[in-house]
Amino acid sequence: MATAHEAVLVARPEDIEVLQDMVAALWDAEPGVGGTDRTRFEMALVEIFANVVEHSERAHGGPPVRRVAVTLTVDEEQVQAVLVDDGRPAAVDLSAVTMPDEDATSGRGLALAVAAVDDVDYQRDGDINRWTVTCRRTA
Amino acid sequence: MSDIQVHRTDHGIGVVTPVGRLTMVAAKPLTEAVVALVDQGTSKVVVDLGETTFIDSSGLGALIAGLKRCRQAGGDLRIARPTEQVTTVLRLTNLDKVLTPRATVDEAF
Repeated sequence: MATAHEAVLVARPEDIEVLQDMVAALWDAEPGVGGTDRTRFEMALVEIFANVVEHSERAHGGPPVRRVAVTLTVDEEQVQAVLVDDGRPAAVDLSAVTMPDEDATSGRGLALAVAAVDDVDYQRDGDINRWTVTCRRTA
Repeated sequence: MSDIQVHRTDHGIGVVTPVGRLTMVAAKPLTEAVVALVDQGTSKVVVDLGETTFIDSSGLGALIAGLKRCRQAGGDLRIARPTEQVTTVLRLTNLDKVLTPRATVDEAF
């Protein structure tokens, strides 16, 4: 039996806090999800949201106005997040993402997300961007 | 939201303690705290991660920026007391060699 937690966030740094509070509420509602899976999922989700925030700031150059609809679901097999926004297309090839050198001060986000969970997917669907983060439950 | 606490030990070591989540929101204040220590003559810095509940790639970037600043000044930046989540992130990003965790703040230098 899947349960869904939904919210509409603003693509701004402060809303990472809101997202993480949302994840904490999800774990309260789903105490059966193991600690390792919780960590993996939250790490990937935060990186994907932060990526949307970064691109939103670049695209608009002013106050952040892009809205991001977040849906979190848990079932017996997996934990999944879907992030939908109506911003500009993200120019990203997830299959080509690599971890930068150790002295880099940025550029690790997507590589960390891909490394942390089982699948990260990006689709441009009409006028919207849809990111899907999937973490198969291991415990 | 992370709160960045800073103090110096009797041995002249700077200790920076991010409390709470260390994400995009707190990354810049962390870098600024390390730079301020170096500018004041303290280039050996320990970042105590024992109170850091979560770190993301922005937080890691701030640690690397701080590390580079300390080394430019002839010192070093080391991390202590990482939580399991911090250890996992360091491993996944291949940064566990350049930021080798110490068990305690006192052992860092």
